[in-house]
Amino acid sequence: MRIRSRVRTAPVDPNPSGGHCAMDRYRRLDLARRSMSEIENDTVDEYLRGNLSRRQFVARASVLGMSGGLVAFLAACGDDDSTTTTTKAGATTAAGATTTAAGATTAAPKPGGTVKIGCTAPSASIDPVKVGDLGGLIVLYQVGDYLTFSGSDLVLRPGIAEKWEPTGAKDGKEWTFTIRQGVKFHDGTALTPDDVVATFDRLADPANKSNALSVFKGVLTKGNVKANGQNVVFTLDAPNGNFPYLVSTDNYNAIIVKKDYASDFETKPIGTGPWKLEKYTPKQGASFVRNPDYWGTKPTFDRAEFTFYADEAALVLGLQSGAVDIAHAVSIAGGKPLAGGYSPNLIPSTAHRQLHMRVDQDPFKDKRTRQAVALTLNRPEIIKGLFDGKADLGNDSPFAPAYPSTDKSVAQRAQDLAKAKSLLAAAGQDKGFDIQLNAIKAQEVPDYATLVQNAVKPLGINVKTVVQDAGEFYGDAVFGKSPWLDATMGIVDYGHRGVPNVFLGAPLLSDGTWNSAHFKNSTYDGLVKDYFSALDVASQKTVSKKIQELLLDETPIVFAYFFNYTSWSKKDVTGYGITGMGQLDLTKAKKG
Amino acid sequence: MGRFLLRRLLSAAATLLVLSVVVFAFLNVLPGNPGRAIMGNLADEAAVQALNDELGYSDPLPTRYFRWVGGVLQGDFGQSYAFQRDNGPLIWDALFESSKLALMAFSLVVPLSLAGGVLAGLRKGRLADRTISTVGLSGIAIPEFVSGLFLVFLFAITWEWFPGQARAEEGANVLEQAYHLVLPSLTLVIVLFGYIARMARAGTIDAIESDYTRTATLKGLPRSTVLRRHVLRNGLVPTVAVVSTQVGYLIAGLAVVETTFVYPGLGSLIIQAIPKRDFPLLQSAILVVGILYMVSTLLGDLVTAALNPRVRLGSEG
Repeated sequence: MRIRSRVRTAPVDPNPSGGHCAMDRYRRLDLARRSMSEIENDTVDEYLRGNLSRRQFVARASVLGMSGGLVAFLAACGDDDSTTTTTKAGATTAAGATTTAAGATTAAPKPGGTVKIGCTAPSASIDPVKVGDLGGLIVLYQVGDYLTFSGSDLVLRPGIAEKWEPTGAKDGKEWTFTIRQGVKFHDGTALTPDDVVATFDRLADPANKSNALSVFKGVLTKGNVKANGQNVVFTLDAPNGNFPYLVSTDNYNAIIVKKDYASDFETKPIGTGPWKLEKYTPKQGASFVRNPDYWGTKPTFDRAEFTFYADEAALVLGLQSGAVDIAHAVSIAGGKPLAGGYSPNLIPSTAHRQLHMRVDQDPFKDKRTRQAVALTLNRPEIIKGLFDGKADLGNDSPFAPAYPSTDKSVAQRAQDLAKAKSLLAAAGQDKGFDIQLNAIKAQEVPDYATLVQNAVKPLGINVKTVVQDAGEFYGDAVFGKSPWLDATMGIVDYGHRGVPNVFLGAPLLSDGTWNSAHFKNSTYDGLVKDYFSALDVASQKTVSKKIQELLLDETPIVFAYFFNYTSWSKKDVTGYGITGMGQLDLTKAKKG
Repeated sequence: MGRFLLRRLLSAAATLLVLSVVVFAFLNVLPGNPGRAIMGNLADEAAVQALNDELGYSDPLPTRYFRWVGGVLQGDFGQSYAFQRDNGPLIWDALFESSKLALMAFSLVVPLSLAGGVLAGLRKGRLADRTISTVGLSGIAIPEFVSGLFLVFLFAITWEWFPGQARAEEGANVLEQAYHLVLPSLTLVIVLFGYIARMARAGTIDAIESDYTRTATLKGLPRSTVLRRHVLRNGLVPTVAVVSTQVGYLIAGLAVVETTFVYPGLGSLIIQAIPKRDFPLLQSAILVVGILYMVSTLLGDLVTAALNPRVRLGSEG
């Protein structure tokens, strides 16, 4: 699907019913829209018609690199859902809606001192090219910068790139990023567009075993990133309307390092970020000192000390006993003992669990059987039980409610045991069946597996749950050698992504490498291709509605919820922020 | 004594050889591969395969085994898959930390449990015996993470007497380090007290009821002399063997305590390496644990032999 091309006539009234968007604002908007591209005008239309909430409008506008001032002006005319996120850069944002997440106030923070953080340990060596776990990306984030920053509100903000826009044919195949001037690496050398080109060439080169290949495969090929003056131009393998997310903090491997970087980050941790790595001890901790030459908001504290915890209960105790000021990324259940005495900082995310049913194997060959299983789940109760209500309902597709492109007019699937029984009977399974459910041992997943086990009992389905640690569950992570990909029924964990591209691709495309449901549907494949290439929200929503309806009908995977994390801090520690991926921003953190 | 020692050393070497084969075989039948474990489930398969090739994991099992054993024999413990560092310093650092905790715990638990056990033995069937036995058994029954969390809650959070984390700041002096190790050591005292005290109690009772003690008493020796020369010397022999076997546990088997108290010891090093399928680190660390167990058992045997000539004479006969 190509971007819609249509003749624009008069702008849509931003507030036909009057209210606080007065006539002069209307005139300003009209003037501004004359300089907007077709895609940008489409996005504004969607917002003004009420098809996008303010939060979603700001998020989408940020992807297209729209003017921050204009977006702020437009956002002020819309609904009043709030935006709470952060950017360590502290730069004027494209979306113009930056706040701090942990309740920062306007009082000037007192500089100096040390902030102590407890978080999960990096599970492998710290190398920007290979890092693939929360602990590692938290360390990287302190030292490095990204072209763009993706907040927990899904809004993109400028980082090393001051601005960005689709260029060339403006179909999303070519994107141009303007690189900020005056940025210095920690060794004092100036960052140049060539460093950016080298960074992405390195990540897109299969020879480098980059973890970012899971994002760039089929999107970006080595050699297709060019410097042009102060700009860096990305020519993609195919149009991609969400590309700016793929060079953001969402793609945590994409910190900008020097062009001569030689996989020696632990001994030469040179980035452009607000903190310089002082000491790193595997499994134990890391300490950082403020980077006095940082181009953005300089950290309030002089030092930041991270202690790595292998166990969530120990992390919680660490905060309670005063060993740390912030306990980062604690599950909702794990943080319950902290309620009352400490300040929570909710991290909205699109992280979720996928309950797959293999469409190529009995008893799930008949889609009515799969639908029946999905209909047994009481999703609001599951969310209440597992997350204390702090999660979003899933509707059996990767389109989380937070995504601007999600079409919320698609009816939410709810528990309906009568319908489930009749569907199962129609599929010839009215007596039920025995089935094994393989679940990964991660956070609440074993509990979720038990809830599924209990939910399907009324249908006569006897589930035997097999909970396996990550190594055993993923196995070799290729078909035929992995319980994750081979089990008839299974539950796997997926982390946050600012756009649903990854979730729509590998787990569900016919040739998807993580297609545990073995779902092969050419209509779906075509729709996803259309979705990836769509630049404006209206086009994305048109496709997403079809995808949502198709997946609800086929139900290869149950998406029951999209959950949130929480960080906790001492009550006098405020101002720290968290990205959707879980990176911790300490630049504006303060005590007292 | 020399032949006794030689035989024990040869036996230990053979055991280590078998251990190396068993550890290597057991670890390598674990499903999953290090490249996938390190890069995560979202990593591209080609990248995972390339990493496995680079790590040497794609080589045949015998090649990997002999490469590892050959390296160990030359003092090279290989390189950690996950941390991309030499295993030697990782293991020795962890071993050093574990030894500090073990020493602290040992210095608390051995005198306490020996005194408790001997007292219980001397007061057999009376209130002191029943109290010590009941308290000891209760401690054995409580899992370490429960007693550890309880101690942290009570002493670190509620009363704030001791730190809840075992690792002191860098550059801390010995006293500060010991102060940080109080709560994990107390956790181990709770676990081990009952075990060692029961052995000491049984040994004491056996010695008290033996003919030689009765003879010594009838000879008119003072009670303190009877206790020191006959009861304790003979009654504590089996306890020494028990205590020596606990050295290995105290140094390498404290993964739960180390995790609860955020302490970078050998136990947690091993536990954390399992999900990452960090085979070279696991193999080498477990081998070191095996050596520790053997050395501590050997020391226990030597002490026992020194205390009880029948042991060494029997072995030489």
